[in-house]
Amino acid sequence: MSVTSEVSAKLEALPEAAAVALRMKAEHYFDVIRAMLDVFATKKNLDSIYVTSTIPSTSIINALDVLEIRLDHIWFVDCISQIMMSPGQKHEHAIYVESPTMLENLMLKVEFLIRKTRDRKNIIIIDSINSLAIHNNTKILSEFLHILVNNLRAKEAYTIIFSMVEYETEEIRNMLNLVSDEILEVEGKT
Amino acid sequence: MAPRDREEPPERERCITGIDGLDNILNGGIPRGNTVLVTGSVGTGKTSLCLEFLVHGSLAGENSLYISATEATAKLLSNIIPYDFFDRKLVRDGRLVFIDLPVIYDKLGLEKLEFEFEEVNILINALANIVDELDIKRLCIDSITSVCYRLKTQENIRDFILKLGSMLGSRGCTSLLVSEISPAEERYSLYGVEEAIADGVVVTGNLERRGDLLRTLQVVKMRGTMHSRAKYVLDLTTVGVLLVPLLKGGSVAAPGG
Repeated sequence: MSVTSEVSAKLEALPEAAAVALRMKAEHYFDVIRAMLDVFATKKNLDSIYVTSTIPSTSIINALDVLEIRLDHIWFVDCISQIMMSPGQKHEHAIYVESPTMLENLMLKVEFLIRKTRDRKNIIIIDSINSLAIHNNTKILSEFLHILVNNLRAKEAYTIIFSMVEYETEEIRNMLNLVSDEILEVEGKT
Repeated sequence: MAPRDREEPPERERCITGIDGLDNILNGGIPRGNTVLVTGSVGTGKTSLCLEFLVHGSLAGENSLYISATEATAKLLSNIIPYDFFDRKLVRDGRLVFIDLPVIYDKLGLEKLEFEFEEVNILINALANIVDELDIKRLCIDSITSVCYRLKTQENIRDFILKLGSMLGSRGCTSLLVSEISPAEERYSLYGVEEAIADGVVVTGNLERRGDLLRTLQVVKMRGTMHSRAKYVLDLTTVGVLLVPLLKGGSVAAPGG
């Protein structure tokens, strides 16, 4: 089974509005994104809000373009481009947070996009806990996830938190256990 | 001895601000007829908060009035956030009214730079007439600080705000009075009187945390309702003011501290 099929099958087995930690190897990154944005969100008729603190939204948008995934129902909260001081073009499907340390602003932008996409339910993807942990201490990050996940659950939205196993620490694992309903492993067996 | 049954005071009718986060903080909205001081330094969102309060009011069928003391209405409207829910028809239909305070001063012949007791009464009566004539249920004066400049003494300021609050409250009109303070100010108004007289105080501010500047909002006082006194982070957006709790980062008081 391909990684894309494996991940979409696991997501489909989830209860509504679940908060899930998705543990993966870096090599499966784009297959997981495809499973999430193309297969799962499309099948469930969801608007996707993709929070990126790992790579700039333009890089993901370019990858989606190559994968021929349409952006109509995909929105980005990009909290990495501005601190990189790159003069990259702003994309109309992306809104920008000055820094991944501005966790409240990140929550506010997610809330803004949820309100803008009122007609459909949402899936919120946090990419990733590891990169957020570079910029924030564990206490504030745990508090952030706790508030965000509960808020999203009340809005009947799915929350998916990416975690790269290569960069996980004990603290990150504890944090994910605390805030997630389920922890899914991407096995990538062929 | 069994505790005596205490009679619960009747729940006061609420003026729903329409700003979800603020209505949650206030346990349902501002108690109707309250006079609330909205205070903070420049660029912290006071005017946007007030405008949104008025727009939601007029959309809900409550005639709303914005009295601008510092900025001409035309300029204010050209800089207004393009709210998704704002309809210029509200202005055309007279449900959302903008008046420049200097125009009122001119009409009343209040040319003196310093107002005495008599001028205070003239101004209050003029405002009462406008509120009655237009059936205003929500009002904002932006800013009360510039009115207070003309009142000079603490007694006059106290007298003005007391009379204003009483006049508006008796008409069921809920009001926001904008107060400008410098960031370093440790009180909530320039003269230190306004916050004591007002029924409520909402403080907006800028919080610097590790080089990041966050806009914040805190309700420190609101008569007639239980409310949160925590600090929130706000964002000014086209869907209106959004609020989330300020993260504390697991801050715990040091032992013995």
